[in-house]
Amino acid sequence: MTFRQFAYNNVARNKRLYAAYFLSSMFTVMVFFTFSIFAYHPALNGNGLSQNAAAGLSAAKWVIYVFSFFFVLYSMSSFLRSRQKEFGLLMMQGMSTGQLRQMVFLENMIIGFAATLGGIGLGLVFAKVILLIGERMLVLEETLSFYFPIQAIIITFISFMILFVLICLFITAILRNRTLITLIKSNKTSKGEPKASIWLSLIVILLIGSSYLISLRASGDQAIYLLVPIIIMVSIGTYLLFTQLSVYIIHRLKERKSFFWYKTNMLLLSDLAYRMKDNARTFFLVAIISTVSFCAIGSLYGIQSVLIANTTSYSTYPITYFSTAKDTARAQHLQYINDTLNTHAIDLTPATLHVLRYKISESADPVSIIRLSDYNAFATLLGEPTITLTDQQTAIRTTSTIGNRFNDELINKNITLEKGLSIQTASQATLSQVIPALSEYLVVPNIFYQKLQHPTTTDQIDVWNGKMDSSTAIQLAQDIQQSVKPYQAHYVFFAKEYEVYSQKQQFGLPLFMSLFIGIVFFVSAGSFLYFRLYSDLEEDKQKFKAISKLGLTTKELTKVLNWQIALLFFAPIAVALIHGAVALTTLSNMFHYSLLKESSIVLGIFLLIQMVYFFIVRHFYIGQVKSALR
Amino acid sequence: MLQVNQVSKIYEGKIAYQALSNIQFTIEDGEFVGIMGPSGSGKTTLLNMIATIDEPTTGEILIHDRNINQLNKNELAKFRRRELGFVFQDFNLLHTLTVEENIVLPLTLDGAKVSEMKSKAAIIAEQLGISAIMNKRTYEISGGQAQRAAIARAMIHAPHLLLADEPTGNLDSKSARDVMELLEKINQEQQTTMMLVTHDPLAASYCQRVIFIRDGKFYSEIHRGEHRQTFFQKIIDTLSLLGGHANDISSIRV
Repeated sequence: MTFRQFAYNNVARNKRLYAAYFLSSMFTVMVFFTFSIFAYHPALNGNGLSQNAAAGLSAAKWVIYVFSFFFVLYSMSSFLRSRQKEFGLLMMQGMSTGQLRQMVFLENMIIGFAATLGGIGLGLVFAKVILLIGERMLVLEETLSFYFPIQAIIITFISFMILFVLICLFITAILRNRTLITLIKSNKTSKGEPKASIWLSLIVILLIGSSYLISLRASGDQAIYLLVPIIIMVSIGTYLLFTQLSVYIIHRLKERKSFFWYKTNMLLLSDLAYRMKDNARTFFLVAIISTVSFCAIGSLYGIQSVLIANTTSYSTYPITYFSTAKDTARAQHLQYINDTLNTHAIDLTPATLHVLRYKISESADPVSIIRLSDYNAFATLLGEPTITLTDQQTAIRTTSTIGNRFNDELINKNITLEKGLSIQTASQATLSQVIPALSEYLVVPNIFYQKLQHPTTTDQIDVWNGKMDSSTAIQLAQDIQQSVKPYQAHYVFFAKEYEVYSQKQQFGLPLFMSLFIGIVFFVSAGSFLYFRLYSDLEEDKQKFKAISKLGLTTKELTKVLNWQIALLFFAPIAVALIHGAVALTTLSNMFHYSLLKESSIVLGIFLLIQMVYFFIVRHFYIGQVKSALR
Repeated sequence: MLQVNQVSKIYEGKIAYQALSNIQFTIEDGEFVGIMGPSGSGKTTLLNMIATIDEPTTGEILIHDRNINQLNKNELAKFRRRELGFVFQDFNLLHTLTVEENIVLPLTLDGAKVSEMKSKAAIIAEQLGISAIMNKRTYEISGGQAQRAAIARAMIHAPHLLLADEPTGNLDSKSARDVMELLEKINQEQQTTMMLVTHDPLAASYCQRVIFIRDGKFYSEIHRGEHRQTFFQKIIDTLSLLGGHANDISSIRV
């Protein structure tokens, strides 16, 4: 056995200890590689949007790289900490510090090399699936065919070998030389319970409570200015929550003998207290990292929903053409739209109406007037209820647009439109999607409408209603837009499906990137918990071996471990979920748009993943401890 | 060979605790010495300091006239690897390695040739009667076998000084006797200097000399004559004087 064989055997025969570290390193390599596959995809290296996508993915790739650096560094150092006794023994056998460093370096290079190759291999296996997902999420026009990503492989391999070498050098350089006696006795000494003060515990409630209150009550732009102070307050609050409040609660529970000395509670609580110093740091880290990933994904998904809702609120009709009096090409455009509909053999029902605009005062927007019969015609077309008005009545209708609340200038007023022609407006406004392109308007009886002769200007709205599938709709819109440009000074051509499509296309890239980065963060948070749990495995085995001799049923053992693992896995995630929920609620207040659905989806999915993770880890951990009892 | 000069050890803390005070003795080449004393008397602390695991607060420890507390890290590593063998109570074999690999570990660290390591391991395994289990992993063997493997590991590099901390503490009486006979044999055949810390009068009776310490201070020492049986009886007598009733005796004297 040469020294190199020794280092190799140490890794190869101790797979479970290294497994978590190896798998999480491999996962980060895989994610980086996946981004590279996209970034170097031949179809994305053209022009325009696709090129932006490639550049964005490339940038995201380096974000992952920097994160991987810290992640691997942290994993490695916590991994080495759990092996202090082994190092002490080796030094007792005469291993010099240089040799110890050499061994750690070799070991980590073996793992690093295997993780890099494994990550690339796994990335290649899933490449086609990931390319398909990417194509969907990025809403690309090109199809991303599978290719053999030589460039991506080379970049990934070189980058990660450099990363592992750098980290190995760094960590072996700082591998502290503690005295042998502390190394050898390291597994017998507790780091001790952190001290909890009631005042600091109260500060936790104060800090987190006030930040929640402030952020939930912040309106509009205020939220942006409050962002940084609230992040700082919540971070400090979360740190103290785990280092102070939780310890304080455990102490209080231990003092209540009727609870503490009840069956297995004693085992569970004494253990919790014993490990709290180690746990607190991990909990804090996991809670913050998870909060970041919830917020990143949740807010981008939320903003996308807000923007799409905002866009579609312009019109509910598949095709809308809004034109002012100055639009000289109106007839020509309408003709072109109808012709294109005919060539595509799409049967849509057209409708048209006029909007009379009266400039009442210099400061306010002009008042829009719609004839009752026109309104009812449109309402019938859309399948909405029609309205009836007496001769002197009016109705006010508003269209919901995000963050743009109805101003009550029109309500309950006597408005003079022309000389001698005035009208009493209704006492309330009703939301309606019947007339597109207008944010608020008055519906007046036909008799009154006929008397109106001199509006400031007259606009015309043409809509086409009917059903068609979305790919046809997008194709149609693109054809029409070849000669009828959307959003011009005197007219607006609006095809709903196409607008949603382009909105999604614009948002696909940031959403895709945040999703990937968020998942990487989340998975790494999970690995931190796994490391934490497994560094206690040996101790747990010893402890339960001793206790089972006193008479502990399998059921009780499972119960204690179940609680122990559940607390480890869900305490930080629960905190992160609450933080995330508050942040997303603040976001939704900012836009005056309910993001309940979006937040629940994002947070729910994360909770689900965590639960799956919990059940898998629990199964193996309990199995491990039980096998030690036999 | 080994000189312990006025060694004291104080553990700092809220209440400073003096584990050893002014211990002084020497061990000649090829001697087999036992250290005994009640729990908490400082035996293991003393052994750890000689093994360079711990450092004395004052005083010095010389091995072959070299002050081992003044060695730098690399010299210390070389010293442990070439001149020292250590046997633990709980064996402390590395579970990632086979028995054979555990045994050759000190040589591996010293960069020895594979063929040389193989032959040395084979010879020592033969001597200790563990040739059959050389390719097993540490969790597949019994306690007695594990302690023999640990002794083989401590012996393979032919150290000048073999230290043992309660080597029979985790063994049944048969295995304990085997291990002690083995140590005695190695001591006689290879003239290896040995020092062991133990609670077990039977184990101690294999030594040529036993040093007793109490409350961190030197108490007495007795030498073995011709018969191990009479030596064993003397050890038991001394232990009963040394034991928890020492105060009663002194009060009787007054």
